[in-house]
Amino acid sequence: MLKMTHLSKVYRTEVVETYALRDFSIDVKEGEFVAVTGPSGSGKTTFLTIAGLLETFTGGSYHLDGVDVSHLNDNARSKIRNEKIGFIFQAFNLIPDLNVYDNVEVPLRYRGMKAAERKKRIMESLERVGLSSRLKHYPAELSGGQQQRVAIARALAGSPRLLLADEPTGNLDTQMARGVMELLEDIHREGATIVMVTHDPELATRAQRNVHVIDGQVVDVAEDRVFSTSQLAEHSPA
Amino acid sequence: MTVHPIIAALRRHKAGVILIGLQIALTLAIVCNAVFIIGQRISRVDRPTGINESNLFLVTQQYVGAPSSDTKAGADKLDTMELEDAAALRQLPSVAKVSVISSMPLLNSAWNGGMSTKPQAKSGFKMTTYYFGDQNMLSTLGAQLVAGRDFNAGDVQHAGFRTDAKRPVVIVTQSLAHKLFPNGSALGKTVYMDGSGSPSTIIGIVKRLQTPSTSDWASSFAYDSTLIPTRKDAFFSRYLVRAKPGQMKAAMAAAHDALFKVNPMRVIDDDMGIRSFASIRAEAYKQDVSMAILMGAVCIILLALTAAGIVGLTSFWVGQRTKQIGVRRALGARGIDILRYFQLENLFIAGMGVVVGLLLAIGVNQWLVQHFEMDRMPLGYLFVGVLVVLVLGQLAVFVPARRASRVPPVTATRSV
Ligand SMILES: Nc1ncnc2c1ncn2[C@@H]1O[C@H](COP(=O)(O)OP(=O)(O)OP(=O)(O)O)[C@@H](O)[C@H]1O
Ligand SMILES: [Mg+2]
Repeated sequence: MLKMTHLSKVYRTEVVETYALRDFSIDVKEGEFVAVTGPSGSGKTTFLTIAGLLETFTGGSYHLDGVDVSHLNDNARSKIRNEKIGFIFQAFNLIPDLNVYDNVEVPLRYRGMKAAERKKRIMESLERVGLSSRLKHYPAELSGGQQQRVAIARALAGSPRLLLADEPTGNLDTQMARGVMELLEDIHREGATIVMVTHDPELATRAQRNVHVIDGQVVDVAEDRVFSTSQLAEHSPA
Repeated sequence: MTVHPIIAALRRHKAGVILIGLQIALTLAIVCNAVFIIGQRISRVDRPTGINESNLFLVTQQYVGAPSSDTKAGADKLDTMELEDAAALRQLPSVAKVSVISSMPLLNSAWNGGMSTKPQAKSGFKMTTYYFGDQNMLSTLGAQLVAGRDFNAGDVQHAGFRTDAKRPVVIVTQSLAHKLFPNGSALGKTVYMDGSGSPSTIIGIVKRLQTPSTSDWASSFAYDSTLIPTRKDAFFSRYLVRAKPGQMKAAMAAAHDALFKVNPMRVIDDDMGIRSFASIRAEAYKQDVSMAILMGAVCIILLALTAAGIVGLTSFWVGQRTKQIGVRRALGARGIDILRYFQLENLFIAGMGVVVGLLLAIGVNQWLVQHFEMDRMPLGYLFVGVLVVLVLGQLAVFVPARRASRVPPVTATRSV
């Protein structure tokens, strides 16, 4: 489903070059639930934005669903994002000017879906996250957990094959986090591939596979066990 | 993207929408009316005088120590002096034609009266302007005779300025002829001037000859002129001169010298004494032209302000929505979808402004009709005005909208 080989990402500013990812290789199989952990600044978000075609990379190769994405133009990348990928962000990223219904509708409209089909999918996915009674609410009128569930409904409405989540529970308290996690597990059971970045070791253990990132590189699972949380902090760049 | 989500989002930004919508409405209302006024002024300035305007100049001069024109002897003496002047001008090699004349189109120095088909009429006059002069009037003006004949030397008489001479023959314009005789040819018919019992026969009809007055009150008879073959003798006189092609300057200078050579006892004003027709025309329409320029400037300023307002507000909104633009990009919007979003949003705001603006435009015109006797604005102006503000809005919004379309998708994860 998602295969990166010797991938690198360099951020160039006028003074420095930062290697956010270097020799980064990962292979996520169809239907897997992968949790990505690692210290702050290690490159987890960078990995996810490249995986989600939000950003381009500097070297190596990336095949998404068997397609080499390095030569796709902006419109083709938009189309893939729209049809194959669902995003869940730490900050929810709902559109504040739109109510719950209209928020979930956004990706469907970009797909050019007919109104009746849109409505069916919106209602289904909102029901799925338990918010079908809040259609007319604006994001500001919802709790954090509810907002994140709307965001999940928005990601689900387009029936994506791949769900990318960047610390989806990072802004939620434990109880709400557990609810969101259960939802993701449900979605996974129904066949979606999920890659989730998290700081929470407890949530990470609930995924099928853990991938640990340090200094822009994947370190293997065995090594993973060696580090304690305090030691991890020392690896983060100054 | 269709309109529904755009409208839904706009409901949350009412202040900005109303501000720009009203600005567009006001601009539309004012620009439509201003352009209409400009159009009217231009058509006033553009209307034909009926004469051949090139190579034409007018000499106005005063005799110093001239006899009174109220006595027969005085009038005779003045007439001789005028004929000498005209003869001297005619002698000049740069001059083609000369006429002794009382006024000319656009000069705003007029002798107006009322004409009737009945003797001693008390009412039912048709307003007309009188041009007094010799048999060369029509040919020097270059006005076109369409029926009958021009004056000949035998028709011409002379009379003191305030003396009421008989006017056996006259030439009138087609416009006046139609008003006097709506059901048939005026040629050969008898008319009476200013309620007198003395008949005048119409011997010729001129296609078009504008009156000297350009003011609005005279616009109802702007083309109703009467030519009377009488030299009016007074302490001042006017000579209409047609220079040979390309010799205007030379002729104007030579005319001055020639007149002083004939008789130095006269005054010719430095500015107003010898004037080309072009300068008479410019003077007559000075106000119309400056009004048109003022209105044009108002339009340009208003349109520029509206465009700036749209650029400003949209830029602000783009800045405010950078994050959600990134989110939309992440959810599959292409750059063009974002561009279209802002273009459509502006079209919608401008559309509401246009609806209000149309009502305002009609209201302003109505007010001008009632208080300033303006004409009613044809709907075409509104149509063009709407098109202009809509296109302006689309162009103005394009710059910030394109910036929005270039917000990278990664903004969804990176910005705060
Ligand atoms: N736009 C950018 N320009 C320059 N450097 C960047 C940019 N984005 C990220 N970086 C750098 O790339 C490295 C990886 O950043 P990234 O956001 O992927 O870390 P992360 O693992 O997600 O951290 P966190 O757990 O704090 O979210 C960091 O050193 C960061 O400073
Ligand atoms: Mg991160």
